[in-house]
Amino acid sequence: MSTWKTALVTLAFCIPFSDAIGGAAAAAGNGAPAQVPAGSFTGATANLAPNDPPGQWARQSRDYANTRYSPLTQITPANVSRLRIAWTFSDGGIYGREGSPLVVGDTMYLVTPFPNIAYALDLSKAGAPIKWVFQPNPDPASVGEACCGVVLRGWAYADGKLIYNLLDNNTVAVDAKTGAEVWRTKLDDVKVGSTMTQSAAVFGNKVYVGNGGGEMGDMGWLAALDVKDGKVVWKAYSNGPDKDVLIGDQFKPFYPWMRGKDLGVTTWPKDMWKQGASAPWGWVSFDPDLNEIYYGTSNPGPRTPSQRPGLNLWSSAVFARDADTGAAKWAYQFTPHDQWDYDGVNENILIEIPWKGARRKVLVHFNRNGFAYTIDRVTGEVLVAEPFGYQNWAKRVDLKTGMPVINEDKQPKVEAFTDNICPPDVGVKNWNPAAFSPRTGLLYAAIFNNCWDLANHVVSYIPGAPYNGMDGRNRRAGPGGNWGEFIAWDPVKGKRVWSIKEDMMPWTGVVATASDLVFYGTLDGWFRAVDARTGKVLWSQKVGSGIMSAPIAYLGPDNREYIAVYTGVGGGTSVTRRVPGYPPGGNTLYVFSVDGISNGSGPSQLRTESPVAAPGLNATPSAHR
Amino acid sequence: MRQFRIACALLLAGFAWCLPAMGQPAEEAVTAASPNPLGNSPDAIAAGQALFGKMNCAGCHGYDLTGGMGPDLTDPVWLYGSKPGEIFLTISNGTPNGMPKWNDKLKPAEIWQLVSYIQSKAAH
Repeated sequence: MSTWKTALVTLAFCIPFSDAIGGAAAAAGNGAPAQVPAGSFTGATANLAPNDPPGQWARQSRDYANTRYSPLTQITPANVSRLRIAWTFSDGGIYGREGSPLVVGDTMYLVTPFPNIAYALDLSKAGAPIKWVFQPNPDPASVGEACCGVVLRGWAYADGKLIYNLLDNNTVAVDAKTGAEVWRTKLDDVKVGSTMTQSAAVFGNKVYVGNGGGEMGDMGWLAALDVKDGKVVWKAYSNGPDKDVLIGDQFKPFYPWMRGKDLGVTTWPKDMWKQGASAPWGWVSFDPDLNEIYYGTSNPGPRTPSQRPGLNLWSSAVFARDADTGAAKWAYQFTPHDQWDYDGVNENILIEIPWKGARRKVLVHFNRNGFAYTIDRVTGEVLVAEPFGYQNWAKRVDLKTGMPVINEDKQPKVEAFTDNICPPDVGVKNWNPAAFSPRTGLLYAAIFNNCWDLANHVVSYIPGAPYNGMDGRNRRAGPGGNWGEFIAWDPVKGKRVWSIKEDMMPWTGVVATASDLVFYGTLDGWFRAVDARTGKVLWSQKVGSGIMSAPIAYLGPDNREYIAVYTGVGGGTSVTRRVPGYPPGGNTLYVFSVDGISNGSGPSQLRTESPVAAPGLNATPSAHR
Repeated sequence: MRQFRIACALLLAGFAWCLPAMGQPAEEAVTAASPNPLGNSPDAIAAGQALFGKMNCAGCHGYDLTGGMGPDLTDPVWLYGSKPGEIFLTISNGTPNGMPKWNDKLKPAEIWQLVSYIQSKAAH
């Protein structure tokens, strides 16, 4: 590794930084040898397609690969301590804020949790006034069907439209200029416990959306809609016969135990796959060279495992699919017969790594089960699977079979508590997305350190009611007493490079910038900037509520770099609502800049005429002396 | 009246007792002011607890009733009223904010059992 590092030092220093990164991206995209920036800890690179203008943030993860890497460099380790609030925007709603603002041209787009109101803010004007508001009026019956807050994890901009999911199982597209509805497509029924909290993801001319409802025993699916008119191009169920899962000739899982006919039926007791959930409510990533999408599925239903002996495919798994047809290419089940509600929906970050003398296209996935997986995304082979935080349900992942070696003592039982299972249902990391910096070759993730005692109860299926049965008690911080950490992760070695302990659970997304800064938040409302190389905290700002969403970096119309973060606790974090210091909810977008300067700052921002002294009054202050 | 007797007959195995046919004629609608005909009878509380698990109420409100997907039922906050009749109507009719209606799945006597159980765990 030191050889290529040394060889590239000179080269990387000779060309402007942004070109070096752009070149690396293009090289990786063309399949040519990747150019690794000097100073990379691992040699990992990423294809940053579609290589949007640097100041823009048009999709939740910024790029197809889900890196959340910003090429902006105005805010640096040297000036980051001068970050101040430039302006804020409160949307007035309640519930947790889990999505990131998007910035396209002179407009910022925000969508609230239920009732899913969209706002377009005009960044070209002082104070970013509202350009338009769109109220989709989703069915309030959906509120009772959402397991983990009536949240929305993001929205997408494409083809002049703002596209997002409504809690009541509709995907809606809004004209980005006017806020007028362009199309709305109904995809499932609230009555069967399905809701949509996932962030729509647009790649090319398709928008990829999935449902939630893992706790409700619904049927999970991922659908591709036409960006133009919202028509369903394909819909792939997570469980059931191969034809419904879109498993055919192209399906080549790496491990033999995932090969066979109709495993989405036969790995369940009779007909139980029909309430087997496996709902894809997380992130979707896209490799434009392979033309494949990658996404994960939720826990199996019911959560009580004794009711569903078998592997329960394709729950708690990742799928690779042809982006155009939905045909499954491979799958990998992280937690076979998931007994702990660990899911597989967390983000898959697409990078290229040096591996045994060659470069491999991989995806990196921090699973709730506490293992970080580096998986060859062409073949589905697990190259690395190492714990990234504290867990005790498994001894290790056997890389020959791809199977976890389970700690027998930590398998939950019916009507009896098993003490100290780590982690609980919320995992060592949840949906809150990590970031990757191609400059350092590291991933940055906010992770949890927590445990509980767990018993199960046998449950019956009632459509629209929870199909759960999990009875977890005494949720608590794990060893050390801190509820979590913020870590830098080496995806090649499967090791941490540094970590920052946090008292509260840091349930937050991350952005990494080209000036080697990483930004994240905490549930008790601290927003931090960290040196991406050393883990040194360079700046912290307390905000009104806690932070769950991922921050973004963008350039305003004044060509100034801003960091924005949507704040407000809720969602799944409410499992820690009794921990001292857990704040009330909030609904404020914060925008930061160096010294708080924006096109809205300056002496007077009065938009009417200047003050005029009323007749008969002496305007001279000395009059009252 | 007949509806109520049938409800009693259908009670869960293990709780095969029946109320004296008194108090709550079926044709008389339950109101917010209605008393719980089962009161705090230990049998009603036990039957309510069983229903709380069986009907998946625990999936939202927790097996310890301290909430989760749905509100905490042990704290002093009652969004839709803490009187027996109010709790009955909340369960029976559901609420606009997500509580499903149960009058198509549970008999009135069963809903009263749930009221008995919930009130046995509630802080007032």
